[in-house]
Amino acid sequence: MKQITRSIFTVFLSLFVLASCSGRHDVQSRQGKPLYASVEDVAAGRIGVLLGSTHDQYARKNFTRATILEYKSLPDLIMAVKTGKADAGIYNSVQLPELLHEQSELGILGKPLFSSSTAMGFKKGDKELRMSFNKFLAEIRQNGVYDDMVRRWMKNRDTHMPDIRSNEKAKRTLVVGNVFDMGLPFTAVSDNRLVGFNVELIDRFGVYLGKNVVYRNLEFGNLIASLSTGKIDMIGSVLAITPERAKSIDFSDPYFDADACMFALRKNIAVPGVDSGKTDNSDVPTSFFSGIVESFRNNIIRENRWKLIVEGLQVTIVISFLSALLGTFLGGFICLLRMSKNMVLQSAGRTYITIMRGIPVLVVLMLIFYVVFASVNIDPVFVSVIAFGMNFAAYAAEIYRAGIESIDRGQTEAGVAMGFTKVQIFLDIILPQTVMRILPVYKGEFITLVKMTSIVGYIAVQDLTKASDIIRSRTFDAFFPIIMVAVLYFLISWTLMLLIDRLEVRSFQS
Amino acid sequence: MIKIEHLSKNFGSLSVLRDISVEIKEGEVISIIGPSGAGKSTFLRCINLLDRPSSGSILIKGINILDPKIDVAKVRQKMNMVFQAFNLFAHISVLENLTIAPMKLLGKSRESAEKKAHELLNLVGLSDKAGSYPDELSGGQKQRVAIARCLAMEPEVILFDEPTSALDPTMINEVLSVIRRLARQGLTMLIVTHELDFAKDVSSRVFYLDEGGIYEDGTPRQIFENPQKEKTKAFIKKQESFYQHIVSSNYDLYALIAEVDCFCSRLMVNVQSRKNLMVLIEEVLQLFRKSTLSFPLDMTVNYEEKTEMLELLFEAPPGSVNPMLTESGDNGSALPAIESRLQSQEYRQLGGRNRLSLYLKKP
Repeated sequence: MKQITRSIFTVFLSLFVLASCSGRHDVQSRQGKPLYASVEDVAAGRIGVLLGSTHDQYARKNFTRATILEYKSLPDLIMAVKTGKADAGIYNSVQLPELLHEQSELGILGKPLFSSSTAMGFKKGDKELRMSFNKFLAEIRQNGVYDDMVRRWMKNRDTHMPDIRSNEKAKRTLVVGNVFDMGLPFTAVSDNRLVGFNVELIDRFGVYLGKNVVYRNLEFGNLIASLSTGKIDMIGSVLAITPERAKSIDFSDPYFDADACMFALRKNIAVPGVDSGKTDNSDVPTSFFSGIVESFRNNIIRENRWKLIVEGLQVTIVISFLSALLGTFLGGFICLLRMSKNMVLQSAGRTYITIMRGIPVLVVLMLIFYVVFASVNIDPVFVSVIAFGMNFAAYAAEIYRAGIESIDRGQTEAGVAMGFTKVQIFLDIILPQTVMRILPVYKGEFITLVKMTSIVGYIAVQDLTKASDIIRSRTFDAFFPIIMVAVLYFLISWTLMLLIDRLEVRSFQS
Repeated sequence: MIKIEHLSKNFGSLSVLRDISVEIKEGEVISIIGPSGAGKSTFLRCINLLDRPSSGSILIKGINILDPKIDVAKVRQKMNMVFQAFNLFAHISVLENLTIAPMKLLGKSRESAEKKAHELLNLVGLSDKAGSYPDELSGGQKQRVAIARCLAMEPEVILFDEPTSALDPTMINEVLSVIRRLARQGLTMLIVTHELDFAKDVSSRVFYLDEGGIYEDGTPRQIFENPQKEKTKAFIKKQESFYQHIVSSNYDLYALIAEVDCFCSRLMVNVQSRKNLMVLIEEVLQLFRKSTLSFPLDMTVNYEEKTEMLELLFEAPPGSVNPMLTESGDNGSALPAIESRLQSQEYRQLGGRNRLSLYLKKP
């Protein structure tokens, strides 16, 4: 036991050292190269954008010589620019001061590139909801609520939600797709609750409608697909109006005009642009331990961020356990089909195994969520359990089959000759021996499953990985949350391994 | 007790057992012997339906167990089997191997099943191994446990399928003595075995299986000391044969010689005897060729491992003459060369064939 504790401690320590070292990483220096004076200077470089955004389109059209790097979320984009994987990034200027404030290593390059109107997205033909939003928007513009919101969120850079009379008891719901790690001032998670201009706008709209607002946390690139398949009633994220998008969804009246800006590492910029008033404290020397302590405080303690981690951890564990349970039993059934002497049943089992092993589990997850249960309002956790359970079953079935077939035929014959029935032979003689043989492989497969669940964020499940994404979107700390999540996944897997080892020992003894 | 009528068993197009009818009485200890591939194990496995017969009927105490309405599992509980590969349940201890069936199938309580199990382990001399697992035992110990496991179900019949074939010579005896002991207790037993001395000594009746059936059936004395049929004799004497049918005088002598040579080297026949055999075959066939009446001719070489006796047997059609007598006055007689290599010879008519038996001198 002492040894185990010591090894845990060692693993933790080394990971934290790694975290703190890389947290204070050295950016690739541009020694000898001229600094960027305008956006033209990166026109042939690597430009990072948010996948599927208007920035993406703009960059492809106007920076034809550049390499366009598409990222799935703002934190990923920031990290790419900070680590020198991208020379510059394009993002909404209204969000940039927020991140420049937190991470003064970055600065704005040149003048705003273009301006686009943002609006809420509605399902094609859902005129009723769209019209009521337009009416609601006109109303708050008139009575000064809108101006107040702009003042608080955009100008004063407030991070607190005002008290809005919520409709949590209302039976009718408004399901809104949002991107929780979009970043302030639009959408972010602070003190374990959603905050931001868009959140306030939608909450107020919910009150206006008399509906209970339910948010779904989606990837930016999945917003429109989710709306089209009816998973959400409206898109509440920062969505610029473009002709392409207008083909698949309907837009409300624009509620905000967002400027797009280019940003890069401050030390690569000759003359920092629009916003640069913040003091640069990146050169203040910090000691090794105070660096760790600061990262810990920032990513875990502040705004009760640890609660996100705890919730994410619970979701990950629940999904892992339930899908392993489902997969274990479904796998038994599939194995039964696969080993059947009836050719139809056998090929059914074979087909299932071949298909499920041939398709990435992420694709299965998306298929079930967006195609199979397209028109059903279903809990994404449930969908995850089904998808991972089905995937696990295919592997489990083959593990069982290999195990059962490895048992000597003589065991069955001895049972038959003694007068046991087929069922008794399987349960009392074959199964216990099979379990002993397959446990090591099964254990490995189970742990693979636990780690595989880190992709459930794609269908709006807030698991451990997603929790770290949300924290990153607030702290813009590239490394600490990732290392922390790595440690947590390791601990889950490791605990599970120990548990199954125990089971193994016990079953061998019995 | 067991009445088998017209039992046949095919595996696909391969016919293994053909139309066997036999009755086995209570308390008989029957050894089933015969060459490899004669269907001994299949015969045994058909009786408890591990292999389902292709046709025929098996009546146990008057009940036809091939009737689809019969619960075969129930029948098997009274008729247990000991396997060549032991087949002890690998995941449970020796004691549990002995108690699992009585508890699950006969509904015995743990206490009474364990009490009986300890008695049986004592009987087979393994009372100190109750807590061991099968893979901790030697082959002989495993087989004794397997026998005890059979007895735990208090069967009326025990089928032994080559119980000592997978054992080292040193362990064979410990298993055979246990079986001997059971034979004295009046259990009905069928034992497929290659241990002829054991079969002779333990059984009350012997089946010699060959040609897809019970080729010869009798008491051990009859079978081992005075077998009536050709193949039984050969088997008991551990005799091996080479047979060739020669259609006409235009046969390929050298191909024939090569095949005989091959047969001899397989059996590791003494080099001198082998040379003598080659000369004999060549010379005698030359004599047969003098008369067209000699063909078609059947030639058999018999070799008895025990006595190292080589026999060269020719069977010619009726009307043919003894070549050993036809030799007269021709230049360069072969007869002296032949006779100098023989220990004895015999010529007689049997079953409408003229048989010439030549026994080679031992080196």
